Amino acid sequence: MKKTLLLASAVALAGFAAPAMAQSTGTVSIDGSVADRCLFTTDSQTISAGELAGTDGKLDTSKLDGQNRTLVGWCNGTAATMSVEAQPLLNVDFTGTLPSGFNDRVDYTATATANSLDATDDSTVAGAGTAVNVGVFSGDVKVALSGSTAGGNLLVAGGYQGQVLVTLTPNVSFGAP
Amino acid sequence: MKRCFISLAALAMVPGVAYAQSDTDQQSVTLQGNVASLCVLGAPSQSSIDLGQLVATSGTRVGRIAAIGDQHVTLPGSFCNFAGTALTVSSDAMLAADSSAVQPGFARAVNYTSSVDNWASTPPTVTTAATAGGGTPNATGTGGVEPLPKVADLDLSLSSFTVPSDALLVAGDYAGSVTITLGPAVSD
Repeated sequence: MKKTLLLASAVALAGFAAPAMAQSTGTVSIDGSVADRCLFTTDSQTISAGELAGTDGKLDTSKLDGQNRTLVGWCNGTAATMSVEAQPLLNVDFTGTLPSGFNDRVDYTATATANSLDATDDSTVAGAGTAVNVGVFSGDVKVALSGSTAGGNLLVAGGYQGQVLVTLTPNVSFGAP
Repeated sequence: MKRCFISLAALAMVPGVAYAQSDTDQQSVTLQGNVASLCVLGAPSQSSIDLGQLVATSGTRVGRIAAIGDQHVTLPGSFCNFAGTALTVSSDAMLAADSSAVQPGFARAVNYTSSVDNWASTPPTVTTAATAGGGTPNATGTGGVEPLPKVADLDLSLSSFTVPSDALLVAGDYAGSVTITLGPAVSD
């Protein structure tokens, strides 16, 4: 009985309050965000150049120059950058001191093109080249090779391996602390 | 007081989402190639050697082999791009074009020593030992093993020209040959 009485009192209070307020609008604010991201959507690619030396035992530059492969990726932020690191082809079979007149390394320049912007790197210098701002894009990232050289030396026989690393970095396009 | 509280809550939530992630992605293009094992001999500085008159035409040795100086042929820029290679020299004695049987006291063969320097520490050296009648003209020798890839100017030297038993040489044209082979050392 006491409980019922309290409820009635509450109703009475509500009835009293309504006439005192004008029309009211409630607001539900909705916030969300999309983080800066970059993503490659294709698997890694391989360039198999075959025999690297000509009949004179020196690098046949046509085996690498002009080679290209296409990766696919995207970045969703305006501050996104792309960099490329060309790592030289190194002889994976030869061990020992390199004799005079020979080389066991092939250097080259790699160029990655995305969103009509080029990032390049020369494998003679370790590390990635200068990053370029590619911004928001989605599509091909074309990797092309040029300027291959073994310094005019004879190439030591064996297998050679190298790689081009392409890095898409989203950075933070707004309000980074 | 209530409105103020709501505003603070919104500010607290937004930065947490906006700055939390920054995903970098990296992919690679792998480069593969190979260089076949290769040995190449440079072009000989001369492809033939004309010794001219082989015998003394006067004096005490008339009709017998004259003193012939050492002959040299260079094969510049010869190379192997792999380790474990060797030179082989195969020489054929100089024989008279006329293969008729020789009379006693005569010979139709000129022997000589061939050596190729500037490859492995032990050069291939071989001396032909043809008979007076021209039999067994060929001799072959292999040098030591070069343990590393190498590029060098090979020096073929021909020396010690002799005639079996220092016999008189039959008249006519004489010809011989030297074949140099550069390749992987053959292990037993």
